[in-house]
Amino acid sequence: MNSNGKKKSFVSKMAESRNFGLVFSLVVLLIIAAIITPSLFSLGSIISMLQNNAVYGLLAIGEMFVILTAGIDISIGAILSLSGVICCRLMAENPTVPAIVWVLLSLVVGALCGAVNGVLVGYFKMVPMIATLGTMYAFRGISFLFSGGQWWFPHQFTEGYLKFATLRILGAPAILWIVIAVFILAILFLGYTPKGRRIYAIGTNRESSQIAGIKEGRVVFLAMTLCGMLAGLAGMLYTANYATCSYSIGESYEMTAIAICILGGVSISGGKGKVDGVIIGFLMMSVITYFISLLPGLSVWSDAIQGAIIIAAVALNVYMERSAEKRALKERGDLI
Amino acid sequence: MSDYILELKDVVKTFGGVTALDGVHFQLKKGEIHALMGENGAGKSTFIKVITGVHQPDSGMMLLEGEKITLRSTDDSAKLGIAAIYQHVTAFPDLSVTENIFMGQEIKNKLGMYNWKLMTKRAKELIEPLSKNIDVNKPMGILSVAQQQLVEIAKALSRDARILIMDEPTASLSRRECEELYRITEHLREEGVSIIFITHKFEDMYRLATRVTVFRDSQYIGCWDVDKISNQKLITAMVGRELTQMYPAKTADIGDVILKVNSISKEGYFKNVSFDVRKGEILALTGLVGAGRTEVCQNIFGIMTPDEGSIELEGKEVKINSPIDALKYGIGLLPEDRQTQGLINELPIYQNVSSADMKKFIKNGKIDVSKEEQTAIELCQKIQLKAKDISAPPSSLSGGNQQKVVFAKLLNCKLKVLILDEPTKGIDVGAKYSIYEIMNELTANGYAIIMVSSEMPEVLGMADRIVVMRNGRVAGQFDAKGITQEKILAASLKQDEGEER
Amino acid sequence: MSGEKNVKTTASVRDLTVKQGFKLSKFLVSWEMVLVYILILINIVLMIAKTNLYFSHGTIQAIIQSGMDVCPLVLGMIFILMLGDIDVSIASTMIFASMITGLCYQSGIPTVIAVLAGVLSGALCGAFNGFFVAYIGMPAVIVTIATSMLFRGIVKIVLDVNVLKEFPVFYTTVAWANLAMIPLALIIFLVMAAVFVFVLHKSNFGRKLYIIGNNPVCAEYSGINVKRIKMIVFVLMGVMCGVASIFFVGRMGGSVSSTMGTGYEMTAIAICVLGGVSTNGGKGKVYGPVIATLIMAFLTYTLGLLDVDANTRKIVTGMILIIAVLIPNINRQLVANIKLKVVYKGNKNVEALNNRTVNEVKRLKETILEVKRDKNLNASDKAMKIKKCEDKIVVLKKKCKEQTAVWLLEQKEDERSAKARFNSK
Repeated sequence: MNSNGKKKSFVSKMAESRNFGLVFSLVVLLIIAAIITPSLFSLGSIISMLQNNAVYGLLAIGEMFVILTAGIDISIGAILSLSGVICCRLMAENPTVPAIVWVLLSLVVGALCGAVNGVLVGYFKMVPMIATLGTMYAFRGISFLFSGGQWWFPHQFTEGYLKFATLRILGAPAILWIVIAVFILAILFLGYTPKGRRIYAIGTNRESSQIAGIKEGRVVFLAMTLCGMLAGLAGMLYTANYATCSYSIGESYEMTAIAICILGGVSISGGKGKVDGVIIGFLMMSVITYFISLLPGLSVWSDAIQGAIIIAAVALNVYMERSAEKRALKERGDLI
Repeated sequence: MSDYILELKDVVKTFGGVTALDGVHFQLKKGEIHALMGENGAGKSTFIKVITGVHQPDSGMMLLEGEKITLRSTDDSAKLGIAAIYQHVTAFPDLSVTENIFMGQEIKNKLGMYNWKLMTKRAKELIEPLSKNIDVNKPMGILSVAQQQLVEIAKALSRDARILIMDEPTASLSRRECEELYRITEHLREEGVSIIFITHKFEDMYRLATRVTVFRDSQYIGCWDVDKISNQKLITAMVGRELTQMYPAKTADIGDVILKVNSISKEGYFKNVSFDVRKGEILALTGLVGAGRTEVCQNIFGIMTPDEGSIELEGKEVKINSPIDALKYGIGLLPEDRQTQGLINELPIYQNVSSADMKKFIKNGKIDVSKEEQTAIELCQKIQLKAKDISAPPSSLSGGNQQKVVFAKLLNCKLKVLILDEPTKGIDVGAKYSIYEIMNELTANGYAIIMVSSEMPEVLGMADRIVVMRNGRVAGQFDAKGITQEKILAASLKQDEGEER
Repeated sequence: MSGEKNVKTTASVRDLTVKQGFKLSKFLVSWEMVLVYILILINIVLMIAKTNLYFSHGTIQAIIQSGMDVCPLVLGMIFILMLGDIDVSIASTMIFASMITGLCYQSGIPTVIAVLAGVLSGALCGAFNGFFVAYIGMPAVIVTIATSMLFRGIVKIVLDVNVLKEFPVFYTTVAWANLAMIPLALIIFLVMAAVFVFVLHKSNFGRKLYIIGNNPVCAEYSGINVKRIKMIVFVLMGVMCGVASIFFVGRMGGSVSSTMGTGYEMTAIAICVLGGVSTNGGKGKVYGPVIATLIMAFLTYTLGLLDVDANTRKIVTGMILIIAVLIPNINRQLVANIKLKVVYKGNKNVEALNNRTVNEVKRLKETILEVKRDKNLNASDKAMKIKKCEDKIVVLKKKCKEQTAVWLLEQKEDERSAKARFNSK
């Protein structure tokens, strides 16, 4: 028993070392970035870096809920666009309405879109990839129809609307505080509520969940609705942050969100992954994109680099799962 | 109020055309341990699922303390205090022990959040009397099978279970762990829990139960007091006939050694396994479930490759890295799980039959379908497949006939050695007999057969030689002549020094 | 029970034949034929709505040509989906291949080699995907999402905002020319489709695809090299992307830039799904997607003519995709579920009984048919036997109805007593 105890702590150390590795590479990245472009290392530039990437944080948390159920949602970019367009157009037409209404509206729009996905995947048992592929088309199309192909520019935005992203509170913009709040809520939700834990449960073992009396369809529906809701919020905040909007915003943002999740150690086969990992993944992705944007001529590289990072991250995941399996076999082998 | 806490009368359950329970009775007294015995496929598992509300019976009655109940889901049965611990532990390996206990009925605080503190405390209270070595904060996955079972028991207790069903809990436990489980089970009985204990082992029954009910071929055979029934009578009740009758006479002549396995090992599964099999011989590979039998077969067939040791075919060492190699050398495997490993349920029977060797049907670059069908028909007739239409999918057949399709698939290849992994698992008695006939005919035609089986009568009735495996090692080799069931059982259960930690 | 078994034994072996012949009634309602009807319907709508245009010279050809640039992708995608995998990097691969050809051609390399280089680069991209999916065991969705960024990223790095404008002349010919009134692209498409039909439905490679798609574990146990076949299929997909680049660049009038062709992967997948290829693998035929390609061409063109803009067409594509996948789901699970809730009041006992009765009745009806066909029986015997069966059916149905009523009543009673018990507590 004694030797067993030692092994366990070793295993758990290995499991934790993933975050350690991420933090380590994050630090290395920051140092390299600081050496090449010293301007990165001011507080102001770090905050603006995070501000520009904040929407990815929201999308990644939402995407994480879905991936934990062993699904995937590739319509979040389109949901972001739809919610952004709806909020902007109505805001521009009704400038006197208090801005909080648009925040709520964005949540509702997002939740509705997510609910559509949730019904298709949770209740109609469609393959998540295909269902969200279809709704991605549909949402983006509706977004275009609603926008009428129009663009919105800074002068059309009301001040209250913009403040939701840019108002400085304790030196940081509101959008960052919102993201931090979402992170905290996600930690509470996934760690401390029955609904949140059930998301993990059906991701790990659907059959056991059934025996434990968990309604799979309902949990999937919830996860996808929450994901849509966060994407909707991200849409409103995106437009408020940049004070521009068109139907084409947020294209391929879902890929980045998925990439962040995978970087953060969320297993694509469901049931594994923590919010803190995703936060670190988010920070890393922010540093990388910011770093790329700072170096002249590097901006065209961003897609290729992101793609390469995802492949490397998944390959690492597969490798780590395999070696954990091997370790387990070896432990069992010692008993024979 | 009734004497019985749970009573089932005339319960019938069918799946498609297959009858899983055929007018079954069962009576459970309050506070007793009631053993439920029967061969594989006798309907025990379906029975549990009916009691726990996973399946709904087609007809029949279920009484709880004399009151009629209808269970429409596992929720219903849980509310009534019925809990089951399934044979294959159904846990969430990544979640903590506490969560596993409370999944589905979490303790919440006022905000609707987990009350981790209270849950951990309750979990500790539940686990502590069962075992001192389980840390409720650790993930379930790192516990041993025995410990996981204890957690499942704790889970049942947390739901105030009055009736506890344990499905072969001792199947993969060491002797010491078994003793621990016996102690706990008896303790539960004293607490007033009524227990249905499903088992294959006579030892479990004698040690724990006061009464025993036997099922056979989906039917209720009888219920006896344990101290009033002889071992022999019980076996007859379970098997249904004298053992010799079950098995056709052998006609094959045994020839030279054809396949020789030289001390192969695979990390985590088995160590130093050696045996050989001759032409025309049936070699049985037996032992408890989880002793490494299936893995040995998979290593010979190339699903996995052994870390050490060698395999000789007709005196020449061969390297088998994949099933492709194995089939090329003439080694075929009838896998344990025919649904996922043996059959393609969506494709017609004839395509299933040809799937392992399609090359011979190719003419001018395309498959000659009429030749393919003709061959399939011939093979299927040879093994007396009962099917209406060769282009129907195997899913339309009964279990025994599905197994015959897998046989036909193997016969379509040019093979010398057949490895049959639990060839009669989940097959009704009539079909079993014809599978045995096929096996005998094959050996008569010069095939060598390695048969993995957990069913002792089958091993004794069919095999020429017997290899017993225990915990990943060969525990003994016996000639089938003059061997008794007890000897084999002793070999497969015996504890060696190393295991007594 | 035992009597039934005996009957089966006697009727066993002789019957073992191939009975599934060609049935016109079945053929006419098969999914492929449904697609043909849809195609005809769209044509009729178009004919009525825009009579002049429809019959004017070159319209139909133009419509077909407009949908052909995606056709090689569809053919390759059939195989990928057949395995139960997916490839969303095909549009990027196509652009990548176009770029390679364009760059080669620009730098004066002979046409043949330039084109081959393009196709080869597509194959390389496919091999890259295939390596990670088949040999490393990574999920195809993730790999191809990543490589779609990677491949297009490389194109962006190389081309930046430039547009490649020099391409072999025959590219535009392939996309726009007609041969005896038939679009050249369609002819090439049909020839390629014929090859794919042969491979999937006649060769043993195609059979292996079906086996892997339906049950990859069983495929491995049957001695099929699953990894290699996956690799081959992904490489083939890459080659088809290379071929698609010819059609695509031709349609674009011989130019290519890094932002072109987005969304083609979705269109290809949508067409395959519409054509009856299951995304779970193992189901579908080549014919379906071939017809679906034409449907999609006509549909987009028709919507365009009816003053529906490109983005609305996107919505329509999305809807079609969802509906096409939903139809089989609705057929089985949903109907069963709704029936359980509405007709059987959530009582699974009743559901089981009713299903059993339906099966029994079906079996009896089959027996009646068999008796009718039996030549050895004389007329009176036949009549008697048929009568017996029919009586049985009536009795069964009656029994089922009665039992259902009893059970539903019991259920109500149960619920009431349960409620009472709950309230008393």
